[in-house]
Amino acid sequence: MVPHEISPKIGQHYVDALRARFGSAILNEDWRTSDQVAVTVELNSLPDVVENLYYQQGGWLSSVIGNDERSLNGNFALYYILSMEDTVKSWVMVKALVPPHQPEFPSVTAKIPAAVWYERDVRDLFGLNPIGIPDNRRLTLPDDWPADVHPLRKDAMDYRYRPEPTTDEETFEFINVEGEGIVEVPLGPLHVTSDEPGHFRLYVDGETIMDADYRLFFVHRGMEKLAENRMDYNQIPFLADRICGICGYAHSVAYSTSVEAALGLEVPERAKYIRTILLETERLHSHLLNLGLACHFVGFDTGFMQFFRVREKTMKMAEILTGARKTYGMNLVGGIRRDILKEERQQCLKFIAELRVEVNTLLDILVHTPNLVERTANVGALEPTVARDFSPVGPTVRGSGFTRDTRADHAYCAYGLVPWSVISKTGNDVLSRTLIRAEEWYESAAIVERCLDNMPDGPIMIEGFDYKPHQFALGYVEAPRGEDIHFTMTGDNQKVFRWRPRASSFNNWPGVRYMLRGNLISNAPLIVASIDPCYSCTERVTIIDIRKKKAQVVAYKELERYCRERKHSPLK
Amino acid sequence: MLNLLKEVIKVGEATTKYPLESLDLAPGFRGKPVYNPELCLACAACTTVCPPNALAMDTDTEHGVRTWSLFYGRCIFCGRCEEVCPTGAITLSPDFELAAFNKNDLVVRADFKLLECRVCNRYFAPGKELTYVLALLEQAGLPGPEVAQRRSLLEVCPECKRKCNVESIKRVGVGNPVEVKR
Repeated sequence: MVPHEISPKIGQHYVDALRARFGSAILNEDWRTSDQVAVTVELNSLPDVVENLYYQQGGWLSSVIGNDERSLNGNFALYYILSMEDTVKSWVMVKALVPPHQPEFPSVTAKIPAAVWYERDVRDLFGLNPIGIPDNRRLTLPDDWPADVHPLRKDAMDYRYRPEPTTDEETFEFINVEGEGIVEVPLGPLHVTSDEPGHFRLYVDGETIMDADYRLFFVHRGMEKLAENRMDYNQIPFLADRICGICGYAHSVAYSTSVEAALGLEVPERAKYIRTILLETERLHSHLLNLGLACHFVGFDTGFMQFFRVREKTMKMAEILTGARKTYGMNLVGGIRRDILKEERQQCLKFIAELRVEVNTLLDILVHTPNLVERTANVGALEPTVARDFSPVGPTVRGSGFTRDTRADHAYCAYGLVPWSVISKTGNDVLSRTLIRAEEWYESAAIVERCLDNMPDGPIMIEGFDYKPHQFALGYVEAPRGEDIHFTMTGDNQKVFRWRPRASSFNNWPGVRYMLRGNLISNAPLIVASIDPCYSCTERVTIIDIRKKKAQVVAYKELERYCRERKHSPLK
Repeated sequence: MLNLLKEVIKVGEATTKYPLESLDLAPGFRGKPVYNPELCLACAACTTVCPPNALAMDTDTEHGVRTWSLFYGRCIFCGRCEEVCPTGAITLSPDFELAAFNKNDLVVRADFKLLECRVCNRYFAPGKELTYVLALLEQAGLPGPEVAQRRSLLEVCPECKRKCNVESIKRVGVGNPVEVKR
């Protein structure tokens, strides 16, 4: 590998500590940018190295990437991405090579629960078997997918291919909680807050949830495969936009910055400010949406309507700044496509001033609604110890006393250039997560104003760079729901070799099980909504009564009604 | 509760009369791309950048026709086509009302005649592209006879050009001293 001349090397001491502890198991260190280092380790020491970084050196698991590098070095590769948040903030990618003749690796999940979804995902898509993983069920692939087709292997299949279903049966095994008095409640086949698919199973004793299990990925769109096969590197920002209908712009910034980091490109300062403005515009509308939904779920629909009315102004702001109601289609690798003119700037400043007054009024009404506090305080507790184990992101982790915010920890775009503060609360409950969104809204408004005021003149795009193949780096953005992280490895012919976007909800979902435990089933939709999940509407809930050993299916509408009215339990 | 009532009364009606009334759009709104075939050269720059493949170019070398097409059903209104078009043949309009009863109503097509190669007589490039290049050269100040000479050069397909080059290189004999005939 070409030695990179990179200085300063932020986070060198993390690598030095690994070398001191593991010696010859650390095979190589490769600095991708001044704060991103890839450390290659021996496959068998992978769990210990990741655990050391995670628990001893203050790391959080941000992503795990599988990569078919057989055409590059003859092996599959795994990258465990750790966001180091001790006194020095940096990124460490622990890389291990998996030989193709023995496609398995020692599971990290036994030591770090946060890795569970990632390892199941790698197993499904690459056919690399995590040895010793506590939960070995399928995650990404459907039940009827053939066992030997691993879509992201380069030689597996054409991206348009959909194999014949192998079975008509639903073969997914939900966990089986048995015990006196536990009832199983299926929530979904498909979501509880927005209208997206996910299947929930709640195990209840009377009205109390004892445990929960859920199956998602019913709408996996195969974007990674599509991107590396059909698109060139400058088309992917438009695909990344469409990962999410709420925080799509965050994904396209994360993708663009990952390629810029991989190629060592420095984006013009004005482009950084414009990206920041658009990212925060997106947060303004997303937080208002979630606050509206919080009203809806506690049965306060007038509040819901009012929040949505005010939110319309943030959509108009997006229209003025980007030419579309969603902040879509603005990024290319190297900068931004559209400048902000003086008139647009003034209009936005005026809008924000008006919005601030209106949001003030609505929040005042909201927090003085007795129902809100009564329904959300001490509900859906995410204990800090659970949070530490599962690496949740965004308002979900900040509601449990942690001050994790990618904008502050790994300042990208213009977040290091304007003053603002991270909001965090210690209530661990739905109320904390809701109030964090409310307070963050004001921070976002202030960031937009400061950026509009301090934006430097100059170009907004760099052109004429060389697209070098097989360079990789991370791009990261704090989306409204938490950190989005993209890993990109550039490829030949203007294409990407590997693109792994990870949306914030991916890190928040595994912890929801613990948030549901011990709560009333009428609060289940409220708890799921509090992480503002990105899948999200569960049509039905299976409720399993462990005392009567009886399963019952409750339509989502019915559960939602019960959540809002809390009368006439569907279980009786 | 009282505050909420006050707010509701103060706001009054929040919705507009659309579609009975037209919507107030921001300047620079990105809507339906409008195509002007007169200006189009069929150079395919737009079809290469289009992220969702809404734009396509189909070349029929047998009949010497290249078909440009745009399917609005796939368009994401990103405006990359407008950005790369050398002649301004495609521009985004503020029109966003695209609903149609028939899917085919969402397709725009244009056919372009291809040029025959002077040497092998096979079709290879749109004629308009060549005319455009020659006009550019003329405008850059190239004298008329030279433009005509260029035309005869440009009317040869890339494959034949390559062959001709190989032939002439053979004649010169690269790496050998030029043989002088006596």
